[in-house]
Amino acid sequence: MPSKSPDSAKVGAQVGRSVPRLEAREKVTGRAEYTHTMRLPGMLYAKLFRSTVAHGLIKSVDTSAAKKLPGVLHTVTIEEVRKVIPDPYYGPAFHDQPILADGKVRFVGEPVAAVLSADPHVAEEAVQLISADYEQLPAVYDEVEALTSKIFVHEQLKPAGAFADLKHLKGSKGTNIALEYRLRRGDIDQAFTTAAHIFEHEFRTQKVLHLPFEPHATIADYEDTGVTLYTASQGPSFVRSEIARLLGWQENKVRVKVPFLGSGYGAKLYIKLEALALALSMIARRPVKVALTFEEMFYQITRHPCTFRIKSGIDKDGRIVARKCQVFWNGGAYADIGPRVTQKSGLTASGPYDIDNVSIDSYALYTNVTPAGALRGFGVPQLAWAHESHTDMMARALNMDPVTFRKKNILREGRPHATGTIIKDAAVEKVLDRLVERMRWSQPLVQGAGPGRRGRGLAISMKAVITPTTSVAIVNVNADGSITLYCGTIDMGQGSDTAMAQMVGEVLNVAAETVRVVQRDTDVTPYDMGTLGSRSLFHMGHAVRRAAEDARDKLTALAREVGEPEGSNIPVPTLFVKRYGMQAGNIIGTGVFKPDYVPPAPETGLSDNVTAFWMVSGAGAEVEVDTETGHVKVCKLVSVVDIGKPINPQLVDTQISGAALMQLGFTMFEEMHIDGGQVINASLADYKIPGFQDVPDAMENLTVDNFQSNGPFGAKGVGEVATFCVSPAIANAIDDAVGVRLRELPLKPETVLRALLAQAGKPLEDA
Amino acid sequence: MSAARTISFRLNGALVTADVKPHHNLVELLQTHFGLYGARESCGQGLCGCCTVIVNGRAVSGCLYLALFVDGAEVATVESLDANGQLDPVQEAFIETGAFQCGFCTPGFILMAGQLLDDHPDPDDGQIKHYLSGNLCRCASYPQVIEAVKLAARKRKGN
Amino acid sequence: MIPFDLAEPKSLAEAILLLDPDDATVRPIAGGTALMLMIKAGVFRPSKLVSLRSVEPKYSSISASDDVLCIGSLSTLSAVERSAEVRAHAPLITRTMFTLSNVRVRNVATVGGALAHGDPHMDLPPVLIALGATITIVGPKGERGLPLEDLFTGYYETVLERNELISQVQVPSQGSKKAAYIKVTTGSADDWPALCVAAVLELDGKAVKSARIVASAATAKATRVASVESMLIGATIDDALLAKAGGVAAKEAEILPDIRGSVAYKRELMRVTLGRVVRQALNAGGAN
Repeated sequence: MPSKSPDSAKVGAQVGRSVPRLEAREKVTGRAEYTHTMRLPGMLYAKLFRSTVAHGLIKSVDTSAAKKLPGVLHTVTIEEVRKVIPDPYYGPAFHDQPILADGKVRFVGEPVAAVLSADPHVAEEAVQLISADYEQLPAVYDEVEALTSKIFVHEQLKPAGAFADLKHLKGSKGTNIALEYRLRRGDIDQAFTTAAHIFEHEFRTQKVLHLPFEPHATIADYEDTGVTLYTASQGPSFVRSEIARLLGWQENKVRVKVPFLGSGYGAKLYIKLEALALALSMIARRPVKVALTFEEMFYQITRHPCTFRIKSGIDKDGRIVARKCQVFWNGGAYADIGPRVTQKSGLTASGPYDIDNVSIDSYALYTNVTPAGALRGFGVPQLAWAHESHTDMMARALNMDPVTFRKKNILREGRPHATGTIIKDAAVEKVLDRLVERMRWSQPLVQGAGPGRRGRGLAISMKAVITPTTSVAIVNVNADGSITLYCGTIDMGQGSDTAMAQMVGEVLNVAAETVRVVQRDTDVTPYDMGTLGSRSLFHMGHAVRRAAEDARDKLTALAREVGEPEGSNIPVPTLFVKRYGMQAGNIIGTGVFKPDYVPPAPETGLSDNVTAFWMVSGAGAEVEVDTETGHVKVCKLVSVVDIGKPINPQLVDTQISGAALMQLGFTMFEEMHIDGGQVINASLADYKIPGFQDVPDAMENLTVDNFQSNGPFGAKGVGEVATFCVSPAIANAIDDAVGVRLRELPLKPETVLRALLAQAGKPLEDA
Repeated sequence: MSAARTISFRLNGALVTADVKPHHNLVELLQTHFGLYGARESCGQGLCGCCTVIVNGRAVSGCLYLALFVDGAEVATVESLDANGQLDPVQEAFIETGAFQCGFCTPGFILMAGQLLDDHPDPDDGQIKHYLSGNLCRCASYPQVIEAVKLAARKRKGN
Repeated sequence: MIPFDLAEPKSLAEAILLLDPDDATVRPIAGGTALMLMIKAGVFRPSKLVSLRSVEPKYSSISASDDVLCIGSLSTLSAVERSAEVRAHAPLITRTMFTLSNVRVRNVATVGGALAHGDPHMDLPPVLIALGATITIVGPKGERGLPLEDLFTGYYETVLERNELISQVQVPSQGSKKAAYIKVTTGSADDWPALCVAAVLELDGKAVKSARIVASAATAKATRVASVESMLIGATIDDALLAKAGGVAAKEAEILPDIRGSVAYKRELMRVTLGRVVRQALNAGGAN
């Protein structure tokens, strides 16, 4: 095949190298541009007036005083929005979210009005001058309560086209259930009657959120001939199609550009500020920037709190013969992508276990709090919190070692998952074995006699990558042999640009560092479903690999065309000169990838091919509990994951450690405190995230040796996998240390101490 | 009501002037007047470190620092580190150890790491964790940052 | 932020004249870290801020004699942290600075600001009170001196008039006193404390000659736990006494619940931390 360099030496494997990030220089010099700090000439700033009421009818909104403030150009409510966008509702699963509150507010913080000014301080001051009058309605906050409550967040459901199986819900009234996913495998009732032991537990997770350090931001630049949005988004293709839908335009008149993204973790998906910025730009007929403050993110999107009732039947040999799961997801006031969490993660509720009889009921509930959406792990951390705590509780009750119990029950290669899909390339046992080895499980742990007690615990889990999704990539070989890659995957720090460049380099025999990955721009970069759910390395990786192979094939064809002998090592630039008489022309390779899939049957949730690949995760923790104050120190945290073959080992390591540490925060202390619908800790001073001093003294980030046979170069996704098992591993370690079992997160000192004192028969007395 | 005032100060070595109002903060001044975006306002409370700027040789939180307060001062931003086109040893170390992900907090870490090494040329893990405890990273690159600082220490010493 | 005026007086006297005793929208600003948070949160809407940054340099100086350490109120916390005089005279202050907020805050925040703010979550008030600190307050009518513990009257409330400023903190010589300070956080490690306790003790042989125990964060203001101090004086410290003292402290303190802990939990923390801070002082803590 034609080579780049005259001596046609192979540059060596690109895949498997720890190539430094391609965009490293921009980031360390501070020159990387992020939407949040972008400015366009003539741009106006928007500041938002938000609801102070959790559920209420809007009786009036008075913007008259705001209008009078010098420097205020527009004040906008849904009335003005309707004049430019007649049907101002959006959402990936349900078109249930209005651009500004429409007749009703459904959560504290919902945007009700906007002020536009060239000076953001003026806009901020003007917002203080707006007032609104609400007729308060009763509100519902809890997911289990929402299931049967007569308080309805939405008058009727409005499914979008994206989910074919939701069509039947259109117009449904009198419910807070946005979606119900069910799985029925075997005969659960019969199986329970045969069980030697039955265990039933309930676990809860709290409301936490992403808090990317670059808050959400969008600049919309509307003109009658076309609109350009600069937006901090993980999914520009979706933004384009949704904006086009709202305008009734062809997609090619909508342009979405994403500069560097100051992280996302799932917060910046689908539509966040884009529809609002669009409407404001249409009204102002100037570019408009909507950029949230840190505090405003508490009113934008969060993770799903979850109640999981899990019941297992165990036979006399310690095998799980039946498992019933009821999962209630607290979706907040608008559905966002909650229905997909409910369904696509719901199907893994029973865990990485080989169980013949499984029943899962997974419900997406509307409540009057900030909407919940995708957050790294996409529901699986909440599920693993339950099933892995439950597993340890059963093991202890049965006097079995938690590892032995798991080994009796884990899914192995070739066995059917609860959905019926046969397990392939999911290294559950390898992960467990490696974890056991690194935790030195066979050796006793010194527990200690003083106020500090040590213990250890572990947990395993798996996730099915969202399937099916589509990715398209273009590889452009320039006349000098340099290569440009066009793909819509957003590098938000996970290193996708670098990994994709490595794959291109592997196929086309060039150093990854020489590949240029263009900035995301829907006028230029082709369709991608979105950078989410650990899908990109696999899906876009295939598309990129195919595009590179297509380019390679075309170069070979070109060599033949210009009369080169078979196997010629003609340098690429010479090839172009031969063809075009000078340094001119391009070779364009394209690649598309969409995996095979069999949709789950609606009544049973079963499918023979429910996912393109499984992510497998294990975590182990050693803790020291201060029995006098309840403080838990995580002394050691081990993460073991199956991510197939690492494309870039250094990036893999940082993804594992970053994910584990993020989940550590969600486990130990992160929590949105909500009182009567009000978020009372909406700032970094009061909502604490992990810092240096919270990092465990010993951390191990390990991958097991596995080759994902259907993956690009044997690889699969890594971004989320180390989040799944941290919470239950630590709770299991606390149980080991001090014999108390915690069923709610976070595992903060007061919670631990209360449990300790209650167990000792001296419960803390609240006056 | 609040009048604009002209201030003059040294910015990354050059004498500059700007008209600012009392309620403008240092981050705004740097971004709107000088096109320097390495210091970013994120948490707005001085807790995350994304807004780190060096004023009179000491790191401050730009989001809590009134622009008027830099009148007559020496201000240095991350952009001063590679002013001659060469990366500073701390920057190189961060790249080699992969001590960042999305990059939003990175300039703050790099400036603070530089300050740390000025005060403690050979810090141990504990000193690094403590000195940088006011810099947060949501991507949680903490373990890699510790390695980066130790590598930067070696680079500075010329090893 | 909502616009406001900024005055930059060249002397403390001039600054005091610019402050208005009846106008709550006019406030002094030194480092500004705490004040800026209030402004951004919308809790405080200033019409005018009076900067103290250009007043006489003597207000940011630190000096010590045999009897007393004098810290100018406009000394930055960083300056205090680095000061050899402070380390020699009252090393507990130096140790406390180590975990007080972060480096960037310490580089601009001032001692006077940290005290005048009246925030019960801050480290300096309980530590300085335990060390027996006094302060000088300057107003339009002149100067007055005050034990630091008398400065605080309630939650973010002090005895300062709107046109009074703290000009100096004095810390008496500590002799052979032993001191320690424990800050208990319940969120991330660098969270605001749920409870903090400072203890400064003097022993005569094995018996306690004097004791100053100050609790804060869980209480509306930094508060001397007088009943425990009385229990300890004249006694020999052992586990039984500390257990009893902890119970007394827990029972008597007026605890405010918040997201960092319920009343019952903070009482429990008080009970445990009391003993721990006294033991820590006796084992390691030189106040001088």
